[in-house]
Amino acid sequence: MTKDEDIDEVHTGFQFDNLARNNMLVSRGIQMPTAVKTGTTIVGVVYKEGVVLGADTRATSGDLIADKNCDKIHYMQPNIYCCGAGTAADLEMTTQLMSSQLELHRLNTGRQVLVRTANRMLSQMLFRYQGHVGAALVLGGVDKYGPALYSIHPHGSSDYGPYQVMGSGSLAAMSVFETRWKPDLELEEAKLMVRDAIAAGIFNDLFSGSNVDMCVITRDGATHVRPYEVANIKGKRLGKYNYKRGSTAVLSSNVKKIEIVSETVKKTPSSTDESMDTA
Amino acid sequence: MSAEMLAMSEYGRDPRKHHFSPYADNGGTTIAIAGDDFVMVGSDTRLTNYSGILSRNQTKVFPLTEKTMIASTGCWADVLSLYKDLQAKLTLYSQEHHDEMSTPAIAQLVSTVLYWRRFFPYYVSNMVIGLDEDGSGVVYHYDPVGHMEKLRFSSAGASVAQIQPLLDNQLGALNMKDAVPPKVTKALAHQLMHDAFISAAERDVKTGDSCIIYTVTKDGVAEEQVKLRRD
Amino acid sequence: MFLTRSEYDRGVNTFSPEGRLFQVEYAIEAIKLGSTAIGIQTSDGVVLAVEKRITSPLMIPATIEKIVQIDKHIGCAVSGLVADSRTLIDHARVECANHWFVYNQDMKVESVAQAVSNLAIRFGDNDSDGPAMSRPFGVAMLFAGVDKSGAQLYHLDPSGTFLHFCAKAIGSGSEGAQQSLQEAYHKSMTLDEALKTSLSILKQVMEEKVSSTNVEVAVITKEKGFTRHPQDEVEKIISAL
Repeated sequence: MTKDEDIDEVHTGFQFDNLARNNMLVSRGIQMPTAVKTGTTIVGVVYKEGVVLGADTRATSGDLIADKNCDKIHYMQPNIYCCGAGTAADLEMTTQLMSSQLELHRLNTGRQVLVRTANRMLSQMLFRYQGHVGAALVLGGVDKYGPALYSIHPHGSSDYGPYQVMGSGSLAAMSVFETRWKPDLELEEAKLMVRDAIAAGIFNDLFSGSNVDMCVITRDGATHVRPYEVANIKGKRLGKYNYKRGSTAVLSSNVKKIEIVSETVKKTPSSTDESMDTA
Repeated sequence: MSAEMLAMSEYGRDPRKHHFSPYADNGGTTIAIAGDDFVMVGSDTRLTNYSGILSRNQTKVFPLTEKTMIASTGCWADVLSLYKDLQAKLTLYSQEHHDEMSTPAIAQLVSTVLYWRRFFPYYVSNMVIGLDEDGSGVVYHYDPVGHMEKLRFSSAGASVAQIQPLLDNQLGALNMKDAVPPKVTKALAHQLMHDAFISAAERDVKTGDSCIIYTVTKDGVAEEQVKLRRD
Repeated sequence: MFLTRSEYDRGVNTFSPEGRLFQVEYAIEAIKLGSTAIGIQTSDGVVLAVEKRITSPLMIPATIEKIVQIDKHIGCAVSGLVADSRTLIDHARVECANHWFVYNQDMKVESVAQAVSNLAIRFGDNDSDGPAMSRPFGVAMLFAGVDKSGAQLYHLDPSGTFLHFCAKAIGSGSEGAQQSLQEAYHKSMTLDEALKTSLSILKQVMEEKVSSTNVEVAVITKEKGFTRHPQDEVEKIISAL
């Protein structure tokens, strides 16, 4: 029998030990550090033979661009990928955790994981954390039932449909799908539409930017292209900003002599006969 | 959690105050560099509201007289209102005193105009730039309530945190051992301003699209536009 | 309605059928009762010289102040109802101080004259700006100063009219003095010549014998701004006349 005390000893999942203390600090006017957010444009569209996922590559921290080329299309399973928008750390951990759980599920069942299974597991996990895990996802893949595409909100609700968008650039991206989407798209049509939807986010949403990443999933597997397109060319600076040696002021110096002792061990002929059993 | 607590948690709270802010942050970055017989001022041309772009081609530098300009960023409504107020005051001055206002006089006027609104300020970062009575370049930098500082170079707005350290280092020779400030030529000022905007656009979401660089000399104002990234 | 034409001089803002404002004209007449004041503008600066009427041997002449400082670069000589001039001088000083506060620069002499003129013609004008003077100010003023356009001399009368002069005399002896100024003045006049000329003209028009106690002299230059001319210096010039 497991005793209650034993359960308390085991620390799994999130720890809330500092919650009360932090709330007290905030109430006394202390600023909490801000997390990097991928204020993002992510999209997915179903086409004739599969699913195309797309994402921009900008990660921001306030108005500052924290990462100019981050990867927002995460691997779940060979037949499932997931785009993420929201708090970078939450996305990274959630997708890694879910990827490993799906892999365990695949091994336990001996079957290819269904996209609907991944959707259900992600939704339930996010719901459990009541929106505190800030992940907004576009989940896409192909299984025995064909292509499937979901979007999952941070509180755990999810949508299913032929095109899905998420992130701060979702309005810009959605405008592309709302005007141009039709059933049974060809691959090239779908890719162009995803490119244009992500580009709409990149150019019209401040918190989306840099490149277009894309992932095409078919019955035969997935191809993750990164970057699919460099939407913005970096400006060229006119000057060179190198510094003369000695530009950094040395405030104090302290030289310590280090004695190097080296020891070399050589193999002697006599010991070669009996090799050690390392099995 | 008890049923009572659940009921309290979301809907049973005390009445809450909803806040209205009369200010908006519309972004924008400005840079000014003074030389012996010129002054250069530039701004990016992006105007933003939250995560959206209102304009990709809006300068934040405005002419006041033949040899004085003002660069303003912050709350765009306040920028326009302040500029109108200054234009009216300048017209009135030239009519009352039969003379164009000098750059130092405008600099002082801007300070007083800003301080008059001490308790409901114009939410604007300003720089007044121009040629003084001796024809040499000057830059005045302000806080929103009228504190004024006369400088040789400065930046203001969204990307100050990125740009000002570069200017301090490259023009002020700060944070370096045995470095002397360089002679500020038009070429150097132009290069630094250009590169500062290029770099700011790389890392600040509110700076981009293009920048316009104005060069004020005794012969007038020259203007140049450089493209920046648009994402 | 009115019995005689002179009824038109009752209201300060009532024109006569001939288009005259009698009260303003009477105010200008009042200047002619005042002591003589002279201003001469040269390229180096401006000289102001006024007569002080010592009406009693028991009076302390130093308490008569007809030349005042408006700002560090502007002075003013008055003639007429000196008490009226105090309000206008106060206004001029406030305007100069405000101009410095707002623009951080010296106010131009012309602008000071304009500002004082604005107040001088507000008589009888009780509106939302507060109560104004009920009658015209009975005083004429000479504004002398140095600004960015050089040495400047402006004359202001009770009608609010202000004009730029090379040399101007006001007060009881103004008619004769102005005539003499016209003869004596020339463009290349030095400051010392102007001092000498002003005192010699005062000597001509004053009833009393001119001395360093019954005249007041001030000089405004680019270098020193407004300065009162020392009594011994004045004495020297007078004795050399």
